[in-house]
Amino acid sequence: MNFRTQQAANRRKTIGLLVGMGVLMWLLVYAALTYFGTSTAGIVPIAVGIALISVWGSYYGADKLVITMTGAKLIQESDNPKLFNLIQEVTIASGLPMPKVAIVVDTAPNAFATGRNPEHALIAFTTGILDAMDRDQLQGVIAHEMAHVANRDTLVSAVAATTAGAIAILSDILTRMMWFGGGRRDRDSNGNPIALVFSLLILILAPLAAVLLKSAISRKRESLADATAVAFTRNPTGLRSALEVLAADSTVVRQKSTSVAHIWIESPLDGKSVSKLFSTHPPIAERIAVLKAMEQQS
Amino acid sequence: MEIFVVLSVIALLAIFFVAQYNRLIRLNISVNEAWAQIEVQLKRRTDLIPNLVETVKGYAKHEQSTFDAVVAARAKATSASSVADVAAADGMLTQALRGLLAVAEAYPDLKASTNFLSLQEELSTTENKVAFSRQFYNDNVRSLNTAVKTVPTNFFAGFAKVTAREFYEVEDPQDRKAPNVKF
Repeated sequence: MNFRTQQAANRRKTIGLLVGMGVLMWLLVYAALTYFGTSTAGIVPIAVGIALISVWGSYYGADKLVITMTGAKLIQESDNPKLFNLIQEVTIASGLPMPKVAIVVDTAPNAFATGRNPEHALIAFTTGILDAMDRDQLQGVIAHEMAHVANRDTLVSAVAATTAGAIAILSDILTRMMWFGGGRRDRDSNGNPIALVFSLLILILAPLAAVLLKSAISRKRESLADATAVAFTRNPTGLRSALEVLAADSTVVRQKSTSVAHIWIESPLDGKSVSKLFSTHPPIAERIAVLKAMEQQS
Repeated sequence: MEIFVVLSVIALLAIFFVAQYNRLIRLNISVNEAWAQIEVQLKRRTDLIPNLVETVKGYAKHEQSTFDAVVAARAKATSASSVADVAAADGMLTQALRGLLAVAEAYPDLKASTNFLSLQEELSTTENKVAFSRQFYNDNVRSLNTAVKTVPTNFFAGFAKVTAREFYEVEDPQDRKAPNVKF
């Protein structure tokens, strides 16, 4: 598979997963109406509203918010001319505007990108990654981060987080209503037991399914960013050997908050991750294998 | 009733025409911008050369033929204007610079000097920038040429005064896109 088919496949899968998220939301609303009756319809806009406000505030100010959450410090060209040279190379290859650049003082090698659009993009590197990598590897990492910017992944993850958040809030409210015996006013009029059991199952399982879908979307965006990075540099070897450096290194970034875990190039939660289904990144070995396949192509 | 149908069909057609026309114009502008970027990067490289040659000369006085090759290639690069000429001069200059750096390999004092190290970083980033701007230009030319030659945009190309553009092709045996030999 070359990078073009990779990009197309990952874009398709993202759309499929986002549609799945919509279907899940619809199923949950349907279950609520079946179980509690049409009087609960008013809760839906409330849940969506809360999710919208909480996610889109952080989406709009993503670049500034993430700086405080990760302890990143903005730097100028004179602070690290070589790094800026490398970033300029990738902006020329991608046609993107020059992003803001930040450094996180941490020996663990890692990097991330954020910002609501390419004009407000910010890419950050730990001091560890700058020390550990050579020119080509660093170029691969920068291309991966700029690929996130080009693919608008801050927007995609904000959409995913909003839907998943709305589903969680909705199902939370409904489960509470169930415990306190509220609702179910039309108990007699809607007596189909199979529909009721089915609805109950959906109410309980929806938040879990939403988290799984959200993680799956994040993984697809990571694979897409790898493919787009190769589209920028036409050099899968650089990114591949950079990922090998990351895989060989066992130190992880000291997180101030796990809520920004998904934005790093290598997941800082690796050790704690329950299983592949919940992780925000594809296994690093798998990413290396895909890039190796691209190297054979060229 | 019919009048609304007719009017909406006309409106839809107008929107369609405008969209095709604008797409061609946009693609053409992207190609122009990509070309400007190539010129900026090539200029950066030619500006870098006198300093580099002087630095290497300081340590390696007897490599006059290499210096001459670089200076000649630089002169050609500054006078070229058409896409094919610029590309040919660019390829020659890349080769000549490679020769200059190969000469530098033989002089440990030169290789260790901080001036040379910073010039080397400048030169390798500039080479990458030239290569990437070339790649970006060719990608844009590919989109434009596809649009100019395929339905439905091809019908509007004459009207928008947009024509297929020339690819930027560098003759360089050591180009990064050369196939890798694997064992």
